[in-house]
Amino acid sequence: MTRKIMVVEDDQPILELMDLLIRKLKYEPVLIANGLEALEMVKREPPALILLDIMMSPINGWEFLEKLRGEYNMREIPVILFTASPSIDEKMALLNDPNLGVLTKPVSFAQLKAGIERYLI
Amino acid sequence: MDQHIEFSGYSISSTDLVRFVVITSLTLSCILITAFSLSRQGETIFTQIFYFPLLYAAYFYPKKGFYLACTCAIVYEGLAYLFVVPSTSGVIYTTGQALLFIGITAVVAYFIEKVNTSEARFRSIFENSLLGIVLFDQNSFAIRLTNSHFEAMLGYTDRDLSHMTFAQLFFLKEDRQRFFENLGSSQKITHFETCFVTKNNKPTWVNLSWSRITGNLVSCSIMDMNKYKLAEQEADENYAQFRQLTDGSPTSIMILRNQIIVYMNPSFKAFSGYEPDELLDKETTPLIHPEDQDNFLNTCHLAETQSPLPGRSEFRILTKSGETRLAKLFFTRVLQKGAPAVLINLIDITEQEILKERILQDNERRHSIISSCAHELRTPLQPIMGYIEMLTQDPETFGVTEETRIILDRCARSVDREREIINQMLELSVLDTGNLYLKYSQFSVPDLLNKIIDAGGYRENAEITIDVPPDLTFEADENKISNVIDSMLSNAVNYSTPPRKIRIGYQTSSYDKLHRLSIQDNGVGITDTQLDEIFEPFQHPDNGNAKRRYDRIGLSLSIAKKYIKMHKGYISVDSIVNIGSTFSIHLPKQKASGG
Repeated sequence: MTRKIMVVEDDQPILELMDLLIRKLKYEPVLIANGLEALEMVKREPPALILLDIMMSPINGWEFLEKLRGEYNMREIPVILFTASPSIDEKMALLNDPNLGVLTKPVSFAQLKAGIERYLI
Repeated sequence: MDQHIEFSGYSISSTDLVRFVVITSLTLSCILITAFSLSRQGETIFTQIFYFPLLYAAYFYPKKGFYLACTCAIVYEGLAYLFVVPSTSGVIYTTGQALLFIGITAVVAYFIEKVNTSEARFRSIFENSLLGIVLFDQNSFAIRLTNSHFEAMLGYTDRDLSHMTFAQLFFLKEDRQRFFENLGSSQKITHFETCFVTKNNKPTWVNLSWSRITGNLVSCSIMDMNKYKLAEQEADENYAQFRQLTDGSPTSIMILRNQIIVYMNPSFKAFSGYEPDELLDKETTPLIHPEDQDNFLNTCHLAETQSPLPGRSEFRILTKSGETRLAKLFFTRVLQKGAPAVLINLIDITEQEILKERILQDNERRHSIISSCAHELRTPLQPIMGYIEMLTQDPETFGVTEETRIILDRCARSVDREREIINQMLELSVLDTGNLYLKYSQFSVPDLLNKIIDAGGYRENAEITIDVPPDLTFEADENKISNVIDSMLSNAVNYSTPPRKIRIGYQTSSYDKLHRLSIQDNGVGITDTQLDEIFEPFQHPDNGNAKRRYDRIGLSLSIAKKYIKMHKGYISVDSIVNIGSTFSIHLPKQKASGG
């Protein structure tokens, strides 16, 4: 059974691209544009890794992460912040989360592959 | 003057010698006459003749005269015993005579001694006085006596003065007239200030006090005031200059003594809104913000008592209208009426601080706009980049021809470049906010160079020589230094044509506080006018000539310059057009403090 990679991202063109790229990497993409729905889905069916956009609504990436690690108590699921926002290093450092990585958009296929392989359990 | 005669170790003045001879011969004559008359007539005659040598001696040498009288009395008594012993009345008479010698001589010697002592006392006061003393005649003003101090004061000799009148000494006619009036009206005058004329016809300031002593004689004491007057004049001039300086100064100035305001200049009045009489002779309390009060008083105290001075600091000053202004104060220790005081220069930096704050806010706001822009610009790049890659990596699947692949590669390069521009724009904007900090570490320079060259693939495009000591290390932020070197290598490759040659060199000495790493290329070079521009954002050293472009993106050198500046170093460029350029990084060997 192929492992699931969840992409939480509100930009439709990127979701469409990620669908193709993740399939190319031989994983099963779970694409979702709404953070709250994504959390419910994680609870039902935890994915192997989450690619998480930051600037989203109704909840942004940071809030998603807080809920995921906090009230959903899912500390083990690797999360890669997949963002075009600059200067997130400081926040990353504050969280000090060993299962948290970052990929700055735009990423090449090779970078995506390396990133996923590094954090995937 | 007395001439001194020396014999067998004794020195005797000629006057004393003459007197000695006179006294001795007179005494001997007296003894001989007495002896002769006693031996002839058996009775004493001319005993009074002894008084000639005795009184003469007593007058000049009171003590010796007394001893001589004793000697003469004994000799006379001896002679009397020799010749008139049988006569009782004769013995009584001669004994009485001998005692009279002693008695009269003693009385004379006593008074002479007394007069001498008081004369000596007067002489010593007269000659040793720090005042000049002149005795002159009240009517003729003829100078009778002067002491040497007075002579020295005006440069005259006592002979000069003996031909002069006291009235001639006055430099000004008006003063002479004033002196006559004063002299006539009063017995005693003190502190009569005037100007005397010296032998060289120059005026000199003096202070006179005089009184009539005996008969027509007036004694006048003269105090030399010239030094004080000149010092006073100089002080007046200095003070006038000080007032001109401070009154006209655009900076606010005040002087504090014992934490009391003793002076404030017009600028300070304008700045504080207080009138001088509201602040002078008062404490600074209403002027200083309550929270700065202790620090201010402490700094004043330090400035007043210690050196080195604490220099300048910023304080919040309260004006009369209740406004709080920020001011930079410079403390200087001064003397005010002989007592240590603190002179404070005050520069109002309120506007400056507001401006600084505004610039910081503007930078923050700009950064936040640029950050949002970057996000918006990068997001659409992701699908473009992803799809192009998909097509080029897997051409068969998507039916991509070789021709199309070349076009797609060009598209991918443009996307790459755009990504790089956005990254550099962000970096520059973070640098402008001042929120970027260095992470210092010790790292090997040759290792770093090889890493950069391998990652950038520079060896594929240029022949690179690394002429750097193999054990060279820098203490700096490795990422930032790496970025700087990478920008320079990238420029060296981009702005030269094959065969490209790049040499990385290193120069320093044990005295040099800086590492000097140079990157030399054989590229297009930069003209002098372009040198300053290449470090400015979005400047191309092209002057419309595409060939001459250096730093394609236009931001990497600005960033490099700022990174090195953060390390308290600098970048320099030597360049000859069409021969090549050398970029040098000058980096402190010791970690810069406060950086």
